[in-house]
Amino acid sequence: MSASGPGGSIFDLGYQSYTGPRLGRQSAVRALFSQTVRSCFGIGRGGRAKIAPFTLAAIAILPAALAVGFAAIAAQAGPGGAVIENASPIRYESYHGLVSVLIMLFCAAQAPELFGRDQRYGTLPLYFSRVLTRVDYSLAKVLGLMVALFAVDVTPYLILFIGRVLVAPDPATGLADEIAMVPRFLLQAVLVAGLLGGIAALIAAWTPRRAYATAAIIAVFIIPPIILAIIYEQSGQELARATILFSPADVLAGTNAAIFGSIPDSPVVAAVDLPGWAYVGAAAIGIVATIGLTVRRYLRIAA
Amino acid sequence: MSDEMVPPPPTGTTALPGATQAAPAPPPLAPPAAGPAPVQAPAPSTPAALEVDHVSRWYGNVVAVNDISFGLGAGVTGLLGPNGAGKSTLLHLMAGLLAPSAGRVMVEGESAWRRPEMYRHVGLVPERETIHAFLSGREFARLNARLQGVADPDAAAARAIATVDLTDAADRPIGTYSKGMRQRAKLAGALVHDPRILLLDEPFNGMDPRQRLHMMSLLRTMAAQGRTILFSSHILEEVERLADSVLVVYAGRLAAAGDFRSIRRLMTDRPHTYTVRSSDDRRLAAALMADQSVFGAELVSGHVAIRTADYDAFTRTLPRVARDAAVTLFEVRPTDDSLESVFSYLVRR
Amino acid sequence: MSVMAPLVEVTLRGLLGRRRTILLALLAGLPVLIALLIRFSGGRPDADRILDTLVVRTVMPLVALIVGTAAIGSEIDDGTAVYLLIKPIARWRVAASKILVAAGLTSVMVVPAVVLTGLLLGSRGGDTATTVVGYGIACLIGGSAYAAAFVALSLFTTRALLLGLAYVLIWEGVLSGLLAGTKFLSIRQATLGLAAALGVDVPGSEPLAPAVSVFVLVAVLAGALALASWRLSRFEIRGGD
Repeated sequence: MSASGPGGSIFDLGYQSYTGPRLGRQSAVRALFSQTVRSCFGIGRGGRAKIAPFTLAAIAILPAALAVGFAAIAAQAGPGGAVIENASPIRYESYHGLVSVLIMLFCAAQAPELFGRDQRYGTLPLYFSRVLTRVDYSLAKVLGLMVALFAVDVTPYLILFIGRVLVAPDPATGLADEIAMVPRFLLQAVLVAGLLGGIAALIAAWTPRRAYATAAIIAVFIIPPIILAIIYEQSGQELARATILFSPADVLAGTNAAIFGSIPDSPVVAAVDLPGWAYVGAAAIGIVATIGLTVRRYLRIAA
Repeated sequence: MSDEMVPPPPTGTTALPGATQAAPAPPPLAPPAAGPAPVQAPAPSTPAALEVDHVSRWYGNVVAVNDISFGLGAGVTGLLGPNGAGKSTLLHLMAGLLAPSAGRVMVEGESAWRRPEMYRHVGLVPERETIHAFLSGREFARLNARLQGVADPDAAAARAIATVDLTDAADRPIGTYSKGMRQRAKLAGALVHDPRILLLDEPFNGMDPRQRLHMMSLLRTMAAQGRTILFSSHILEEVERLADSVLVVYAGRLAAAGDFRSIRRLMTDRPHTYTVRSSDDRRLAAALMADQSVFGAELVSGHVAIRTADYDAFTRTLPRVARDAAVTLFEVRPTDDSLESVFSYLVRR
Repeated sequence: MSVMAPLVEVTLRGLLGRRRTILLALLAGLPVLIALLIRFSGGRPDADRILDTLVVRTVMPLVALIVGTAAIGSEIDDGTAVYLLIKPIARWRVAASKILVAAGLTSVMVVPAVVLTGLLLGSRGGDTATTVVGYGIACLIGGSAYAAAFVALSLFTTRALLLGLAYVLIWEGVLSGLLAGTKFLSIRQATLGLAAALGVDVPGSEPLAPAVSVFVLVAVLAGALALASWRLSRFEIRGGD
């Protein structure tokens, strides 16, 4: 549109309003979800943002890669190799103990960024004034974090699995041997990603300032097991039994033991001797509760 | 000055940015040898309190400040440029908060970088809004005074607070201040030690007109006492009103320096325009067009708009032509002698 | 030296904002709370164990981390650090004042917790005084070393909190236990070594030799001051443009 008169002129800059089809709510949710997952790994945000997640993920995967190498050497060594392999500390059931700290650090590093940024910089109104609802927003963010954590947690197990299958003398038998482990580690990874991610998301949603959120998340993960150990040693089993389900780290140690049918890493869990389903149930409740509370936080937040 | 007749450049009645893109650039009116004078700040009459010598600063591939040189003495200088031109970077270089990638920054004859002693005589008002929100205005000023090692911090703080007119709110936490009050608190903090050199980064941000006038008169008073004051702004009116001389930066380079009217006169490849009201506009316009210093005269309702290449010659030409044509002049006004036109010319070169 | 007083004051006031103080108080009070809990549920007295696991390994580094990274880190983050730097104060004095506040605050929070916990529970071996004094002094110096290190770290990176956490949890928690030769590279081990030298019965594997422990702690304190001063003297603050 251009017009000209004695006092002034309007120029046609070629601006056109968009009249085509608009992608709906689903597409918006999917976009936010994928952006969340990518942001957890620093993809699309420059080199610096990638350092923390990739370093932690690499350290998490390293033992698995080593174990596969170990197994390959053991296979070459023939019958004596079985001894070497059995001596390897890196197995499905023990992996959780090795990487749980890394997953916790990953949460502590990324969750405050995911949930705190929009609150601190006031960009929430930009989201909420679109076709995206508050529930959509919070769910997309929380599930995005959980999926990213799942990816980091499950990869070492997958490497172990594939490695063992390939290293076995006959892939078909190898597959048959190992396939039983797949649903187990998938389930454990889901519980780990869900519970740790959910708690980190809830804390980060309540604490926009990055430093406090990071400190609080780490504190919630690493302090309860220590307290529990002390309580168990000093006051015996009863009190420990009553409170162990409130410690996320111990709950996950318990689910690990239950799923793989192994001895738990944490001595308190071993001593307390709760049935496996109690841990799994507690984890499931924790996941649902934290998601719900995070959604509730965003339903009520002023924006 | 060219002797041949040069066709008048196309006239545009609009000043909207979109229009000038369509118009070709006016041909140079002076032979290349006598091109626009090289950009150089006028030599300061006193030894330079602040001296910037071929300073550049880059961050990887991005050059924020590109080979800038100037010297500043007493008085108020305005650092003018659009956002992203490098004004803040330049101020931080002079305040010793950044190291130059090339060149030297000298404050009172010595390097500005890594010399905390210099802050006894230098005050900086940074651009960032945040200051210690849990302190009151008075406490903030007092903190600055104590850190400066001022003899009587309480008195100095009270003086500074009174100078910036913040006494009423001085005992409330800064977190409750409005933006303009926060600016004043920052300024109070920079004044407690009575600095000889004052650097201000966008000081009038968020101030209402009354506060702005007050701060401007304060800065003028301080400059009259012999202080060197440099303030940055992207708002032309502020600089035009307050600064004795101007440094125009654009895209990291110094586009012009000095009093803006002098700069205007140096822009010889751009015609000066005047608005003249007379007793007979048409006759005046016809008579002027015959003169060599004029190359455009336009009749607009109520006055004549004249374009001339040579400012000096025209000032002698106009009265003579008017007298010869028996036309009375009621008003002669330069229409683009403003900082705005200078600035827009400079940044579009 | 009188210029240190306002620096210390403003740092303290900035650190003790409401939220942070509550967090610190909770952390520091945790061992005392647990001790009370155990005492009143009739448990066996074993202050050594709790002081080792809960305080030295967990609460002390966490408190030092929160205080150390915020002492100058929070000012750099919100842009108020510039007001401290455009003053005619030698950079080492600024660094020293920040480290002093961080170390002091950490000690004030941790040492009373150590003393109370020790007194409430009593040592397993019966010699409560040795335990309390030993751990008290060790935590005083160890906590200060942590705090100083984190202050210096926060001048080099904006993610000092995370790096500090990784150091405490991964390096000190896991790796330096695996690689026996690197024991001396751990502030935690140095703290425990100092406690052992003061007569405390530190559980676990053989503690670090007394001379090495003291050397490590002093080296960390001095090194942190030196690094922080060096970095501050070259600290660049970019403009908004």
